[in-house]
Amino acid sequence: MYLLWLRVAAVLYGLASMSALPAVLGDRPRWQKVCLPLTIGGWFFHFVAFVEMLAAAHRLMPVGMYQVESTLGLLIVTAFLLIWMRYRTISFGVFALPLAFLVVLVPAIGPDKYTFSSSLVRSGWIVIHVTLLLAAYVALIFSLLASLFYLAQERKLKDRESPGFLEWLPPLDTMDRIAQTTLVFGFYCMTGGLLIGSLIAQERVGAAYFLDPKVVLSFLMWGLYVVMLFVRRSTGLRGKRAVYLSSAVFVVMLCVWAANIFSSVHRFTTP
Amino acid sequence: MKLLLTGVNHKTAPVELREKLAISQEQLSDATRALLEFPGVHEAMILSTCNRVELLAFHEASSPDLLSFLQSYLGIETVSLRPHTYEYRETDVVQHLFRVASSLDSMVVGEPQILGQVKEAYTVARSVGAVQTHLEKLLQSTFTVAKKVRSETQIGSSSVSVASVAVDLAKKIFGSLEGKRVLLVGAGKMSELAARHLMQQGADSIFVTNRTHDRAVRLAQNFQGHAVRFDDLYATADQADIIITSTGSQEHIFRKEHGHQFLHKRRNRPMFFIDIAVPRDVDPEINRVDGVFLYDIDDLQSVAASHLADRTREAHRAEAIITEEVQRFHRRTKALNATPMIVDLQSTAEEMRQAELRRAQARLQSLTPEQQAAVEALTRGLMNKFLHMPMQAIKAAALEADTVMLEVMRAVFNLPSAQEPTASRAAEKPAAAKSEEPIAVGNQKDRS
Repeated sequence: MYLLWLRVAAVLYGLASMSALPAVLGDRPRWQKVCLPLTIGGWFFHFVAFVEMLAAAHRLMPVGMYQVESTLGLLIVTAFLLIWMRYRTISFGVFALPLAFLVVLVPAIGPDKYTFSSSLVRSGWIVIHVTLLLAAYVALIFSLLASLFYLAQERKLKDRESPGFLEWLPPLDTMDRIAQTTLVFGFYCMTGGLLIGSLIAQERVGAAYFLDPKVVLSFLMWGLYVVMLFVRRSTGLRGKRAVYLSSAVFVVMLCVWAANIFSSVHRFTTP
Repeated sequence: MKLLLTGVNHKTAPVELREKLAISQEQLSDATRALLEFPGVHEAMILSTCNRVELLAFHEASSPDLLSFLQSYLGIETVSLRPHTYEYRETDVVQHLFRVASSLDSMVVGEPQILGQVKEAYTVARSVGAVQTHLEKLLQSTFTVAKKVRSETQIGSSSVSVASVAVDLAKKIFGSLEGKRVLLVGAGKMSELAARHLMQQGADSIFVTNRTHDRAVRLAQNFQGHAVRFDDLYATADQADIIITSTGSQEHIFRKEHGHQFLHKRRNRPMFFIDIAVPRDVDPEINRVDGVFLYDIDDLQSVAASHLADRTREAHRAEAIITEEVQRFHRRTKALNATPMIVDLQSTAEEMRQAELRRAQARLQSLTPEQQAAVEALTRGLMNKFLHMPMQAIKAAALEADTVMLEVMRAVFNLPSAQEPTASRAAEKPAAAKSEEPIAVGNQKDRS
């Protein structure tokens, strides 16, 4: 049954993505009234699908690639809605909603072909580890988006471009606050996620786990994250330099994501 | 419905004339009451703003000369006034009112004040009993149309004055202006205006500096701000989020190195320079510093001009909406006019009565002329009694603008539709009357 709700959510996200274009780029209030209810509706069905999925399997953990993707999609839309509630801007919808739609589309097509069969993933701590890291990724995506918006708005104001193009961009101050808030939130999530992951690994696999490329890259990403936070906070870094830093961490994040292929121990299939 | 509107506006009359005609807010109730008492006027409203004075009236018989009202009320010679006035009637009044409330007839197209002014005039007119059924419908439609134009077009979305453009740009940088500090360097009319706009939008405090310190103190007092000695300018400038300069200096007061210095002290928090001086007070190179934004008078004016062009483009879309809404209002008014419907109802019933009498003619032959007259009176009386309640219902529905109810009544009594032209209706009537068994009678029978 959860697939049905997930498909409904995917359709609503698709429609919300389309309505986000005139709502944001055309600054049409009528489309904003369409976009937000569609997104909230999509989020609701997505959440129902998520709960049903876990309830049907009698566990708390998404144990397949599709399910993890679906969870990531849910977190992206949740972040978008939280930002809308806090800062009253739907500008992120232009990117966040199509991204959520694409991420949810594949899991909505059919059931998982690849599942994590390892008994390890049944652990309650693993659930927190995965959820926190996914939340950190989402926060990082939004922080990068906010920094890019900041840069575009800054360029527009500096070049004194005539209104129309990029007129939809939110004020610089709003972008700066969103970038900072998501960055700090992402840092807490990533630190917590890595800490829990490390404790589990120490207990189950031992010290050898920390030589794995995936794990090494994860700690490198965390290190970069700390540097970025420190620099931004101490110097008030904004604009293009902030984008460079956020992009660097984002690239490392993609590497960490991709490193699963090379990882020998961060695999959750039964041997 | 007979509508009449007479007035002058910024396009037809010079300010000298408009100010003679202007009716103050305090006088408005009295003037509206006087207009209502003017012969021939049944309902009335007066709209008096700095750009227009318009008298709107609903009348039933011959149209009143509203200029004579102005002559008698304000004591102005109408001969000199007449060439500057315009007059609209019926549908043209509706269109004009829709355009005025939607700010298409304003000096600055898209300005938002006019709708509020029309609403104020309506409130005053309503409070003195000058707005009743007919103007109520017209004015409610006017407000709806104006709102629709605002929401469906971008006619009022961008600023067209230099001061408001500066405020808009500041909001693009800082979001809200709450808690922001403004530094006014030099004292000029336009910089003062821009500062005032910023303060109205929530800017927290203002610093004023001038080469003549006394002048700075006086200006600071006006804004309830702080005067800063000109020598302390560079030490204080970094505390300001927005700097407005308008000095008579022949050299740049702020240069690129100042930008770097201020930004360093502010830990890269953005700064907005508004340079209204000619020659310019701020070196254009300062705009290259990350976090510093500079707009000079030409930049602000070019933004304002492009916004104005946007508004003109949107005005075409607004005109299309208004044309459509005028037609809709006209159709609705026609549908709500109860008189033709009541006439149709009476003639349909009369045709049925006549048909029934003709059918019973053979059996009524034996009656004396007095008895026949009694039957005639009896059938007519019955018909009128039966029609009394539906006619009351039609009148009530028309007054309440209940189009659904009116359509139901039309369907129940098989009356021609409101959209059908009168001519075709008139052509149908004799044909129906000639028929021995009118369709209406047949239908009536079927239903019974």
